[in-house]
Amino acid sequence: MRIELNDDALEFGEIARRAIGTAGGDSLIQHVEADPATIDDALAPVLAELGVLDLDVRGNADELEAGAAFCRSVGWWAAPGSIAERLARPADLPADALAVLNGPRPSARMHGSTLRWVGADLDGRRSALSARTLSTTARKAAFVADVDLTSLDHNGAADVPLALTLGSWELLGLLDRSLALTVAYVKERKQFDRPLSAFQSVQFQLTDAEVERAGFEALAKYTLWSVAGRRDEALIDALALRVAGLQAADVVFRVCHQLHGAIGFCDETTISWLSRASQPLRRLPCSLSGTRAELTRRMGRRGLTGLFSSVPGPPASE
Amino acid sequence: MMNFDMGDEIAELRQRLRALVAQHIPADYLGAFTDDPADLAVAQRFCQMLADESLLCMAWPTEFGGQDASPWAQTAVREEMWALHEPRGAQYMGVNWVGPTIMRHGTDAQRQQHLAPISSGTVIWCQGFSEPDAGSDLASLKTSAVRDGDGWRINGQKIWTSYATMAQWCFLLVRTSASERKQQGLTIFLIPMDSPGIEVRPIATMMGPHHLNEVFFDNVWATDADVLGDVGNGWGVVQEVLSFERVGIARYARCERLLQAAPGAVGDGWDEIPEELRGRWAQSLIDCRRARMLAYRVVERQNQGRVTPADSAAYRIAVTMNDQVSAAVLIDIVQLMSPTTPAAQQWVRAVEDHHRYSVSATVASGSTEVQRMLLSRSMLGAR
Repeated sequence: MRIELNDDALEFGEIARRAIGTAGGDSLIQHVEADPATIDDALAPVLAELGVLDLDVRGNADELEAGAAFCRSVGWWAAPGSIAERLARPADLPADALAVLNGPRPSARMHGSTLRWVGADLDGRRSALSARTLSTTARKAAFVADVDLTSLDHNGAADVPLALTLGSWELLGLLDRSLALTVAYVKERKQFDRPLSAFQSVQFQLTDAEVERAGFEALAKYTLWSVAGRRDEALIDALALRVAGLQAADVVFRVCHQLHGAIGFCDETTISWLSRASQPLRRLPCSLSGTRAELTRRMGRRGLTGLFSSVPGPPASE
Repeated sequence: MMNFDMGDEIAELRQRLRALVAQHIPADYLGAFTDDPADLAVAQRFCQMLADESLLCMAWPTEFGGQDASPWAQTAVREEMWALHEPRGAQYMGVNWVGPTIMRHGTDAQRQQHLAPISSGTVIWCQGFSEPDAGSDLASLKTSAVRDGDGWRINGQKIWTSYATMAQWCFLLVRTSASERKQQGLTIFLIPMDSPGIEVRPIATMMGPHHLNEVFFDNVWATDADVLGDVGNGWGVVQEVLSFERVGIARYARCERLLQAAPGAVGDGWDEIPEELRGRWAQSLIDCRRARMLAYRVVERQNQGRVTPADSAAYRIAVTMNDQVSAAVLIDIVQLMSPTTPAAQQWVRAVEDHHRYSVSATVASGSTEVQRMLLSRSMLGAR
């Protein structure tokens, strides 16, 4: 048993976090929002310096762990550039990024991007994607564009769990940072002559958020292992992780906004940017109830692989 | 590279435990603490059989009759036993922490006297900690031991004492001196439950009989030989006891087993169950996996000697909520089915038992509020 990322991946994630910070950190998303056409270049120096896009996330479990750690660091800064999608790009198609698609009006985090995008739905049907022109501002759209599809093949079954899981790791980074900022804020901000952190009602909200975040993190590691091993149930596991992540995001962002008070809605606080940047990851390819419905349908009567998944239930009739 | 597979050896251990339960435990067994004394007898026999198979105290050091089993083997035993309605009965307490604490703090005579009966599964211990005015705030306890010649006189009352009606020994925390800090001046005594002056009064509870009791101490005599560790240092020992119990019972394992069995128990009607409820069922299975992964985080960090109270607090909050939410989901499912086979009917009884027992999950062994206090202290650092 080893339930923590390998040491190199952990170190890689730390280096990435510092490198993205040096490259602009919180300001990256602000610059790209002002000029979406720069989205593909925002992290280009960091990607090149660390060789991120050379990671063999499909063929080497250690490198997949490094990729996941990188996505988490991207989330920490809400850095733009759809890195999870770029790491999950198909190996067998000429493509730079892969988006998981769902629903009658599919969309992807590709506004401003000039890369070659491929989409895969949950059943593995792949299409070439082209983004439509935004009908709103980049700020409101959060880099999400409706897409037109040109059908390619049905070979994307392995792409989907990988892409969903790397996206979850990026979301995890967003939750890490949001909670860290909120902890710092409640220790500093005083009301009634006391720091907010002295109030038990505040403390307990933080613990609710941390239990969700920590649980999501623990599941993210398990799921990464499942995806790395190409286990049969990898898609189910990735959907289960996404359900846990979306639930955690709801709790974490609700708590973080509540404890920041009105200042948390203002763009002078990082939490405002993080919260908006989390929206595409939380809504695409499907939101919480949609993901849970998809998971439940695909699980059928089998449940989740675990301690007792191989034990049949009692017969209903004899 | 990460690896969440515990390996063949532990898979075999699980199969062996399941086979032993299937062979020795009746299909309708729901734990040792029922109105039927036969259930307690089943647990006692099972423990002795586990001891004979060298499976009862696997985690103990070899010098005390154990096998130095890995933390993951211990985890597997904990999961299998709780999932299968804890056929060891009350023994887990002696095995998990009374024995190890005596190994560490006991005299040679105490080790000699107590460890063999625990490792052979022939003795039951109870834990005399909580009092009517000292629950979450345990250090406020008032039960006292006062010097009397060359011994001690113990007076006071304990409450919520599990297994007191059947225990032969009590691991008792009392006050031996008043001091500025209430955590000081506390002492552990190892007291036979048949000592004159001890009275046990069962408390009727929704969980069933024998779970909780009051224990009264009226001038109970003890000697220096009954003291565990140093007089006045009981709080330090209790903290160690709690560290043995950081993971506690593997509640997620029973939740998962009952949830996984639900479609089979419901049968053809499963697809007729409202989509909303099947969604909650799926969600509860995710919660089980999440709690299990948080438990494994505690086990791994404990193994590396770097576990913090915050790690176990996050896990315990998650697992106790998992217990209660899964129970609510399962009861909803039960309401929509008509069990016709003995096996399905037995599953319904197990669900109902789980539902009743889950009510105590967020209170027992350190309330959720205490866990939140521990976790927030860690998150916020020194204030």
